Amino acid sequence: MAIRGDSAGLEKHYLLDLLASDPGHILEIGCGDGRLTRKYADLAQLVIGIDLLSTLPRGKIDALPETVSVAAASAVRLPFPAGRFDHAIFALSF
Amino acid sequence: MVRALSEAQRVLKAGGRLIDLRPTMRNRRVELELPSATLFIGEIDSSSSFADHLAANEALDEALAAGDLELEHETTFPYLSDLDTLADLRDFQAGLRRSVMPESIFARIAALTADDEDGALIRIRREMQITRYRRR
Repeated sequence: MAIRGDSAGLEKHYLLDLLASDPGHILEIGCGDGRLTRKYADLAQLVIGIDLLSTLPRGKIDALPETVSVAAASAVRLPFPAGRFDHAIFALSF
Repeated sequence: MVRALSEAQRVLKAGGRLIDLRPTMRNRRVELELPSATLFIGEIDSSSSFADHLAANEALDEALAAGDLELEHETTFPYLSDLDTLADLRDFQAGLRRSVMPESIFARIAALTADDEDGALIRIRREMQITRYRRR
């Protein structure tokens, strides 16, 4: 009695395929509740997920690796210096 | 997305990668998988988001034409969501933000599974696209 998203595992497969084996520092724009973040977080040195509202429940934050941070921020005014990230992921962000 | 794309490029290192993951402009398809066959039940209307898709495509095309980004890889794949019951499908419907699932889908599944809901799987099929660009 549940909804099993990405039941074939193809989203994770293709995302990991396009991320380098050492993807470095990743910015995820539109991270929502961290559904996608969990699929690649173990690979990265550091992940910052942003969304307009911080919708990640505390329990799920705790379940993420320590290298992941989540912040409420606007995609059109990113609070980071130029040249900060190795990867930026737009995750269904419109 | 024009300003968001510009901001994403700003915070990327030169040579950094931008990955765009989103649904295509095809509607989701609802299927019913029975032991004997897979039946197409109906579509979830996502047309209200198509203008945003086109605007995003236009912004990316402009960045490519300007030489700010280089297309490295693009593919599509099915994103499958599996549900066991009509109650699960109601939960799925409640989570839709801009798409519309017609009531006829519920009626058709209810009729087809009236005798044995346990032997059926409800599957929602959504076509996704994933694209990687390199910032120059």
